Amino acid sequence: MTARIPVGVLTGFLGAGKTTLLRRVLRDPAWADSAVIINEYGEVPLDHELVAAGDETFLSLATGCLCCVMRSDLTETLLALHRRRAAGEIPPYARVLIETSGLADPAPILHALMLEDVVTATHALHAVATLVDAQHGMAALDRHPEAQRQVLLADRLLLTKPDLAPDTAALEARLHALNPAAPIRAAVQGAVPPDWVFAPGQHAADPAALAAWLEQAGSAARHSDGVATMVIEREASIPAMALTLWMQALAEHAGPKLLRLKGLVALTETGADRPAAIHAIQHVVHPLEWLETWPSADRRSRIVLIGQGIPRHWPARLLAALEAEVVEESERLSAPR
Amino acid sequence: MGMTTPELRDLLADSLAVWGVAGRITVSGAGVVVAAAGHELRILPAERPLRWWLERPGQRRPYPGTVGLLRGVRNALGAGDGQPVRLRVSSAAGA
Repeated sequence: MTARIPVGVLTGFLGAGKTTLLRRVLRDPAWADSAVIINEYGEVPLDHELVAAGDETFLSLATGCLCCVMRSDLTETLLALHRRRAAGEIPPYARVLIETSGLADPAPILHALMLEDVVTATHALHAVATLVDAQHGMAALDRHPEAQRQVLLADRLLLTKPDLAPDTAALEARLHALNPAAPIRAAVQGAVPPDWVFAPGQHAADPAALAAWLEQAGSAARHSDGVATMVIEREASIPAMALTLWMQALAEHAGPKLLRLKGLVALTETGADRPAAIHAIQHVVHPLEWLETWPSADRRSRIVLIGQGIPRHWPARLLAALEAEVVEESERLSAPR
Repeated sequence: MGMTTPELRDLLADSLAVWGVAGRITVSGAGVVVAAAGHELRILPAERPLRWWLERPGQRRPYPGTVGLLRGVRNALGAGDGQPVRLRVSSAAGA
């Protein structure tokens, strides 16, 4: 029997830093020969563009919710990758890394990886790493059943952004109470050895225990109510002032309801050559990150928001109003007097 | 240019939902009327450099922009304070 391909699952609630960690892992030459399956909850996928993997890495994309409609697709994706690898159509990757969407309940994903014979014949689950945001993790655990399930099913827990949370003792105690067997480690900006994140853990050592747990817990995904994805796309660039005002207003009025915002934006002032990546989690807006170039031929500004209880058109209406206001003000000030 | 009155109505209706306030927004003449949380507010367009007037019984306040207007409406309705933040989106790449 040929060796089975190791699979590592990276999960964690929206904004926990999964893409940041994955990007860092793939920069490590020893980990570049990975096949990566990225699952995004949004009509316009962005994470795969933000990962910016090297040539050795093979990226596969699954939109929709991997734990619900995509469960059979995960199996299909893994098997299709494996067939193409065997046929020499893609590089002979050494492992598969799966980044789940922040809203994924990992139980059905692990169910597929551990209990479907067609998958287990060729793949072996090695690790389930759950990232927990040190700043927002407690609130996510309070409000979202997915976040709890992500912690419960981990075989290691990575506390992210500890630099933004002065005291994580209560959160660590809660994580330990939920999953006493999982070691907890903290890391800033994904600075943790990939070996720690994806090395074979307790699930690999005792798969029967996890399988029994999954059978008992059921494979139906559990999700929060009222979570919706909103997408804004713009052919034209966006004035920096309008973007600033928009993000301020989002944070001010919808902070706790804004589970995640990420986007690639062309700003009017810099032209279309260098996009800015924008990120926000609730009322915390991260500094702009300038990319050297657009990750693909698609140069439209694309912003994805995931919110709970935010009217679907409110962010786009607000941005349109602010853009019009900024443009009008600029014209007024530059008009001859 | 700028927001039309129906666009303002739609934005405010969505904003009420964001704040968790039940109410009604109607277009009335050149402006809109917000009836919510036991208050009735009237919002009217203003000459530049102002943009909007927010009227309620005994008070009339000017607003030069939408961000301020939303804050003013929210405060007038007693719908919480929000969490004001001040950002700087620099157009200087690499800044």
